[in-house]
Amino acid sequence: MIEIKNLHVSVQGKEILKGISLSINAGEVHAIMGPNGTGKSTLSNVIAGREGYEITQGSVTFAGQDLLAMEPDARARAGVFLAFQYPVEIPGVSTSAFLKTAINAKRRAEGLKEIDAMEFLKLVKAKTKALGIADDMIKRPLNVGFSGGEKKRAEVLQMTLLEPKFAVLDETDSGLDIDALKVVSDGVNALRGPERAFLVITHYQRLLNYIVPDHVHVMTGGRIVASGGRELALELEANGYAKYMAAA
Amino acid sequence: MVATGLLDHPFKEAYASKAGALPGATHAWVDGLRQTARALLNTAGLPGPKTEAFIFTPVSDLAKIPFIPAASADDVDVRDVPLNVPRIAGASRIVLVNGVLNAALSDNIAVEGLRVESLKQVLARDTLSVKPLLGGLAASASLPLVALNTAYMADGLVIRAGKNFAGAMLHVISIGAAGAEPVAFHPRNLVALEPGAQLTLIETHVGLPGQNYLTNPVTEISLAENARLKRYVSVAEDDDAFHFATTSVALSAHSTFNAFHAGLGGGKVRQEVRAAFLGTGSSAIVNGVYALSGKQHHDFTTAMDHAVPHTTSSQLVKGVVDGQSRAVFQGRVLVDRDAQKTDARQLHKAMFLAKGPAVDCKPELEIFADDVQCAHGAATGELDENHLFYLMARGIDRDTARALLVSGFLEDVLESIGDEQVREAFSALVQGWLKRRAMRRAA
Ligand SMILES: Nc1ncnc2c1ncn2[C@@H]1O[C@H](COP(=O)(O)OP(=O)(O)OP(=O)(O)O)[C@@H](O)[C@H]1O
Ligand SMILES: [Mg+2]
Repeated sequence: MIEIKNLHVSVQGKEILKGISLSINAGEVHAIMGPNGTGKSTLSNVIAGREGYEITQGSVTFAGQDLLAMEPDARARAGVFLAFQYPVEIPGVSTSAFLKTAINAKRRAEGLKEIDAMEFLKLVKAKTKALGIADDMIKRPLNVGFSGGEKKRAEVLQMTLLEPKFAVLDETDSGLDIDALKVVSDGVNALRGPERAFLVITHYQRLLNYIVPDHVHVMTGGRIVASGGRELALELEANGYAKYMAAA
Repeated sequence: MVATGLLDHPFKEAYASKAGALPGATHAWVDGLRQTARALLNTAGLPGPKTEAFIFTPVSDLAKIPFIPAASADDVDVRDVPLNVPRIAGASRIVLVNGVLNAALSDNIAVEGLRVESLKQVLARDTLSVKPLLGGLAASASLPLVALNTAYMADGLVIRAGKNFAGAMLHVISIGAAGAEPVAFHPRNLVALEPGAQLTLIETHVGLPGQNYLTNPVTEISLAENARLKRYVSVAEDDDAFHFATTSVALSAHSTFNAFHAGLGGGKVRQEVRAAFLGTGSSAIVNGVYALSGKQHHDFTTAMDHAVPHTTSSQLVKGVVDGQSRAVFQGRVLVDRDAQKTDARQLHKAMFLAKGPAVDCKPELEIFADDVQCAHGAATGELDENHLFYLMARGIDRDTARALLVSGFLEDVLESIGDEQVREAFSALVQGWLKRRAMRRAA
């Protein structure tokens, strides 16, 4: 589904990603773990299309298309989703107006007619309930004053509403309490299926008890230095990154 | 010395012949106010760019326009309230055409405890009851536009709410309508709330299209102990019109003044709001939005004068500027030596929608007390790229995302309007502005 090849990315002249290659097939869940400042969010942002990154080498292909040539909105409509590590607060834009606009953007791209108000409310109500999000939260300005955990739930809400083909979850588990972790994981698992793929970035293998990955990658110094199955996450938790830092 | 300004000008000539006919002329104290005001104008003229408070919004160029007093424009006939004036459920409409009460277009207000009259009527009767108000809160000596108003005021509204009046919603609609010649009018409004009284005032200032007029209203507001006034003002004058409005509010103990000003159009507009906190526990919120296009000029000037302990002022003003427009925000906060425990906040944010506009922002803090909380901030910039990316990352195209963010930038302040139907009406005005902008861009 997504094919990252020898990706080199610099920020303000400093190379952050130093040749990432990663191939994720439909139906798979991959996890990336790695120390702070390694370039995990940089990778996420490059996939989503944020400006300010210089791609010096390599390619990202999504469903046969050159993802890097596409605008962020086109990527999203094509089915790419990033649950942000730090979702921004946008005063004055109500969460519900935003959700509706986003849903309609996707529907229009798919040649469907816009969602009507009743249908929208029903849909959102069902999804918020499943994620333990209070009804009145969607009336509030987007992410404004949301607690850390609420922001993360709101990201997952957006994901469930937009039903992407490929989702990157950048530390969606940080800031979640134990119950929320389960609720949010259930939300992600409900979307899992043969037609979807996930890239889960986390610092804690605990998340991977809930969202069980097919592959685990260790990223240090802008490179993927080890890949394996679930057991790799357990090993990391026990021994830390020291061994891999040496490798990088 | 040749005086600039009104002295050698038809503006003044046209009025001079009418001086005797201006209301209150037969009362020595009213006449005295006018004489003083006229003398001030004759020596100083209208303020130009060298006058500190008018550096960014000089009004001296008005003297070049041969305004006639609005009352002389016989060819003006306004039969309907323009359609862009919102209908606000539960609010009684009071319509002024060129500053003169138009009974035919106004609702009849018969509410126990509330008196709404025209200034002209009041001055023809007992002038004593308005003596503490008229000229008592807005002084000609320090405010040239108040002097201009005082010299030539012909009518206005006198709104008085009695003790513990439980509240009503009044919608004052001011329509500017010139005839063949440019007209000027200087409405003088007096608002007095007795102890514990509550009132909501909505003001909509509009003009008929293609009209050249100057409106220079002065509103003096007196809030007795525990009185609560909410005032929501929108200014969407014609592009050829001038609108200079000065409001002076005096707050007694535990009174509250909750104001919102929208500046959505006019050739040159200045909305000046001055609050004097004279009683402990009094508080004011003065918020606003502006949205400018073309060559429009909008000036929002505030002065919060904290004279006694334990008073609060809070200001949030946001604006967007397009075309070659010009926005000015001047926010003065004065905290007297005695005014301990003052809490004064001020934030102004402007967003550029194009490369052409200019924004001048001048916060002025003069704090003489030591135990106070004062915060002020100002930010001028373009749309936040992080916000834009966030929306686009959800599949929303760039133009739609931008529109949503610009709207949100302004809606953020509109959320502070407590009355839902007013908030919706103001939001509709702002959305209308954004829609017109989108249409201009599409064209
Ligand atoms: N816009 C930027 N300007 C300068 N440096 C940047 C910028 N964005 C990222 N970096 C740097 O790139 C490196 C990688 O950052 P990134 O956010 O990708 O790390 P991360 O692996 O997600 O870390 P964490 O686990 O703490 O979230 C860091 O050293 C960071 O300071
Ligand atoms: Mg990160």
